[in-house]
Formats: sequence, C-alpha cells, structure tokens
Amino acid sequence: MKNFVLVFFLFATALSVQSQSLSNISAKNIEGKTIALDQMDDEKPLVISFWATWCLPCMEELGNVNEKIGDWKTEKDFNFVAVSIDDPRTVNKVKTVANGKSWEFDQILLDPSQSIKRQLNINNVPTTLVYYKDKLIYSHVGYVPGDEDDMFEKVKEAL
Amino acid sequence: MKLKLLPLAFVLAHSFINAQFSASLESNNQYYVDDSKIKLAENEAEERFRSNSYLTMSYKIGKFTVGAQVESYEPKALLNYYPEFDGVNVGTFYANYNNEKGLDITLGHVYDQFGSGLAFRTWEDRQLGIANSIVGGEVKYSGADNLYTLKALYGKQRVGFDWTNSTIAGVDTEFQLAKAFNTDAFTSSLGLSFVNKHESDDDYFVDPPKDVSVYGVRLNNEYKNFYLNLEYLYKTKDAIKMATEVDPVNFYSGNAVNLMFGYTKKGFGFNGNIRRLENFNLYSERNLIGNQYNQAVLNYVPALTKQFDYSLANIYVYQAQPQLTFFPQKKAGEVGSQFDLYYQFKKGTALGGKYGTNISLNLANWYGLKGTYRVYEDYNTVKTDFWSWGEKYYSDFNVDIRKKLSENWNSALIYIYQDYNQDRIEETSGRVYATTVAFDNIIKLNKSSLKVEVQHQWADSSYKNWAAALTEFNFMKNWSIFLNDLYNYGNDVKEDQLHYYSGGIVFRKNSTRVQASYGRQRGGLLCVGGVCRMVPENTGFTLNINTTF
Repeated sequence: MKNFVLVFFLFATALSVQSQSLSNISAKNIEGKTIALDQMDDEKPLVISFWATWCLPCMEELGNVNEKIGDWKTEKDFNFVAVSIDDPRTVNKVKTVANGKSWEFDQILLDPSQSIKRQLNINNVPTTLVYYKDKLIYSHVGYVPGDEDDMFEKVKEAL
Repeated sequence: MKLKLLPLAFVLAHSFINAQFSASLESNNQYYVDDSKIKLAENEAEERFRSNSYLTMSYKIGKFTVGAQVESYEPKALLNYYPEFDGVNVGTFYANYNNEKGLDITLGHVYDQFGSGLAFRTWEDRQLGIANSIVGGEVKYSGADNLYTLKALYGKQRVGFDWTNSTIAGVDTEFQLAKAFNTDAFTSSLGLSFVNKHESDDDYFVDPPKDVSVYGVRLNNEYKNFYLNLEYLYKTKDAIKMATEVDPVNFYSGNAVNLMFGYTKKGFGFNGNIRRLENFNLYSERNLIGNQYNQAVLNYVPALTKQFDYSLANIYVYQAQPQLTFFPQKKAGEVGSQFDLYYQFKKGTALGGKYGTNISLNLANWYGLKGTYRVYEDYNTVKTDFWSWGEKYYSDFNVDIRKKLSENWNSALIYIYQDYNQDRIEETSGRVYATTVAFDNIIKLNKSSLKVEVQHQWADSSYKNWAAALTEFNFMKNWSIFLNDLYNYGNDVKEDQLHYYSGGIVFRKNSTRVQASYGRQRGGLLCVGGVCRMVPENTGFTLNINTTF
C-alpha cells in the first residue's frame, strides 16, 4: 500500500508539472539551418512569437517589437524567435518580409507544415510565449499595442 | 507490490516526473436568428444553436509523445460544414517517438507535407472544415548533419470521422547537395517525392486505374541574397469531375511546374513565382474528386495571389484552377505568375520621415491553359500548348504603404485593383473589375488603443459598390470592443442593399481569448490560404473560446 501511495504521489507530481516542453522541437530558419528550440532556451529567457505574413496583428506586433528590441536587449538580454506558420502559399515571402522590414530577431523559423504549432498546442496567430529554463512563464494570444511591453516586463522578472 | 519491483517503479515514476501534459480548447458557437432581411434557410432552421469544439491533448514522456483530439459538433456543426462532422468523437490520435538523433516515428494520425505540398500535404483548418490526416504511420530519418532526410508513410486518409477506402503510400527524400560537396558558398538541395493511392474497382467506374501515382522532383538553390527553386511533378491517369458528377469513363494524367525566385537584402525584398498546373488536383478517393467540402484532398494547391487582410478585398477571391473538365466548361488547368516587392524607406530620408516607411507591391496574373478540346458523347480529349496562355481568369495589383505618423499613431494606406472572371472561376457568369481603397489606423492612448479602419470598393458589376468601417477599442489591458459594418449601397437590387453589421466584446488573458458578438455575416466564399468554403449569409450571436493549458 505504501509503495502504491509513493508511486501515485510521484505520478501525481509529474502530472502537476505541466507546460509544453521545448525538447525535441526544431525547424529550419530562413537561412536553411536547422535550429533546436531547447538549445536557444539557455541562461537567457526565450520569447517565441508565432506569426504569418498575412496576419495583420502579427505584423503590427513584430514591427513594434523590432523597434524596441535593441533598447530592451541592452537593458536585459533575451532571445527572440519569430516562428512563421506561413504555408507553402506564402512561405517564400517570409525571408523577403523579414529583410524588407529590417527585423533584427535572433531567429526567424519556418513552420510550413505547422508541426511546431501543433507540438505547442497553438490554436491561432499571433500567440507569444516566454520560456525560461524550459518552463512557460508567460503567454498572450492576439495582439493589442502594449502587449509587447508586458512581455518584456515578464522577461525582466524572470532574470 | 513486491519489493524487487520498486526500482522499476522508481525509474518509471522518474520518467513521469519529466512528463508534460498540455492541452488546448477551441470552441466556436453560434445561435442563428432571423432578422428583417436575413433568414435561416428552412432546412437549417430546426437547429438554431450550432457548435464546433476541439479539445487537443498531448502528453510527453522523454522521447515519447502521445496525443489525441476530441471534436464535438453538437447539436450540429456550424452552417455548411461537411455533414459527416457530426456528434462527439475522437478526431485524431497518435503516438510519436523521437530519439533526438534524427529518427522520428509516428503511429496514428499523421500531418506532414512533401516539398511545397503539390505532391502531398495533410493539414487541419478548422474554419474550412479540413482535417485530412493520414491514419497509419510515418517514419522520418535525418542523416548525419542533416545531409539527407527520408520520410515514408502509409495509411488511409481521414474523411469526417471515418477514413477513405483507398490506401496512401508516400516517400520523400531530400539531399543537401552543397553540403555533400563540402561547400558553404551556396546551398542547394534536391528533393524527390512519390505518392501513390491504391483504390479497388468500383461498379460506377469503367476500368478505372487502381493505382494513381505522383512523381515529383525539386531543386532549391540559394546563393548569397538570391534564391531559385524549381519543381516538376507528374500525376498518372485519374478520374476527373464533370459538372456535378465524376466522369466514370475517361481518365487523364496531369503535371505541374513551379518556379520561385527572389532576391533579398536589408530593407529590400523581391519574390517571383511562376506556376503551371494541368489536371493537378489530387483526391484520395475517386468519388470525392472536386467535392465542395474540400474532403479527401491529398495535395495543396493554393491560389498564388496576395492573401488580403481587408474584408472588401475578400469579396472577389481567386481560387486556383488546377482541374481538367469538359463540362459545363472546358478547362485544363491554369498558368500564371505572382510578383512581390518590399522596400523600406529609412528613417530620416525624405520619404522615410522621422520613423521610416514600408511599402509593398504585389502583382498577380492567372490564365487558363490554351488547348484543343474534342468532346464526343463519351470520349473527350484535350491537347494543351505548354506555355500558351488562354483566357484570363484573374489579375490583381496592389500597393500597401505603412507609416508611423507619430509616436502613438500607425497608419496604412492600401490600394487594390482586381480583375475577376466570375464566369470562369465560379462557373456562373460575368466579369468584375473592382478597385478597393483602405485606410487603417492604430492610435495608442495611454494604456488603451483604438483601431479605425475605413474601406471603399468600386466595382462595375456583381455586387457593385461597397463601403465599410471598423472600429475597435482596446482597454484595461484585457478587454476590447468592436463595431464593424459593410454596406453594399451600390447593389442594383434595392432589397439587397444591406448593412452587414456586427459588434462584440473580447476578453484576453494569458493563453485565453473569449469573444462574444452579434451581427450579420456576408454570404459567399470564406477562404483561407486560397482554399475556400461557401457560407450562406446569416445573422446571429457568436461565442468563440480559445485557450491553452
């Protein structure tokens, strides 16, 4: 009985430790290199922003982040990854949009078959997640101006 | 439990400690009402409350992941979904093993794509009611340093809560050529795809091919800031759709050529895409070829035009025309091109102003294939010329200028010109020339923000002129309210000069979003990625819930 209780307790603990882990999730970046997300989740917090070239609020959010990211990083360093869920219809536009808009993110990843989106249980774009040491510490769905500031506050709190 | 089993229990428990459970829920609910102008069709009116809900769960233990999606269409699915989406059932389930060294095995429902998806793509789109996973298994393997990748899958395709009678087998490989030559001066990859559907005889068809295969080859190259991708695909003989029925006697092969190229550097980007499709739609079951609900679709043939963000530009939406048919119209496919240009005027320049200006241009032209069609009573042939362009199906040209006018004011001005051949695209009649202008503003007010968007469309026929306005106020961090109206004031039929108004409230917190609204929905094509679903116009209350936990 005791053993049963012990095993039950351990299982229950396991179930309570819940969040989408980043292990085993990788994708190609716009340079064609394969990037593993858990390798970017190091000593610095990792922000993952799901977007698409055809999604207006996503473009608004990433444009505003891009304007501020230089200043933010001098204040507190973190990694910022923009994961495009553009499918084969628009995936070729991702690199041109990112360069055309002079985005300075750490990585821009391509998820044309939406496997990362499925692995992290993302329903819609834009969705922004903040991870620190493989734990999800903040998220927002949708975007209104000012959300990016809340996100950075959480990044600062994490450190 | 015996004492000697304790270490095993401990190891098991330890691995469970590192397990993660995650889930997401999406629920789209509608209560349809009749107003003075828009009424629910009689055959639909029995069930006024409709709901589509999806609960997705995954559980990860070390290198293993198991997951499932439970779907509910109770008491009935939203208007005009595939009728087999009915009741509550398990939509998908899978078990996956990934050893982090290149081997990935999935049993159960598989979503994937080969290359650009022209040979094979399975995906889920809840708005369109597409969930066409393969039920079976897939093995993926990436060789050392990703020098090559290999995918092999086998199974049946999901249709509603059932699966097709046919079996699908597919193999895809990709080799990194530049890496193999030990150079990083350029990147180059060669991909080969093979997809086969095997379907037994059927009394309806006269000697149909039991096996239909697609062979594809693709070459992707990148050198400095340039890229050039080319692919060619060939499909062996398969049935085609004629008007409302699939032709039981004639079977035809098809092919596709897709060329993509571009140049990009900081502040500038250019993309070009030329594509020719001849009889290149692919369905996993003969009987379902060309079905209006996009079921049993095995490949992805998106319309290569700009995906518009503004409601009035989405009235005349192009849909790719890959199909061969002789009746009611003679069509063999499509050929055309799309070009994009992005440019950023830097801060401090004359056109850039204090904050910089972004401009993007897009141009698309699509034509039918020119060919000689011979139509006999039960025997039809077509001979197409490779690069001869036939009748114009669609073209558009658009300019999008985005500028920050002050610290708290972002604005965008959009011009869109569309030439839409309704006769050929929708197989009804007419041709529409439409010009749309949109002015979009987001103004930040302390901790709140206001979005104001106005649009106007001038069209020479069909619905004629429209005016539209949207305003959205975001306040107290988590709340938004919105009001939207599309007014078809130019309609020739006085009774159809309707306001399609809607208003609602949105609450967002962390990974949760809840939206409640009331209003009218314009009827017509609802399109995602150039794939469309017909929706009838309707009025009602809507409640959408979206959360991840």
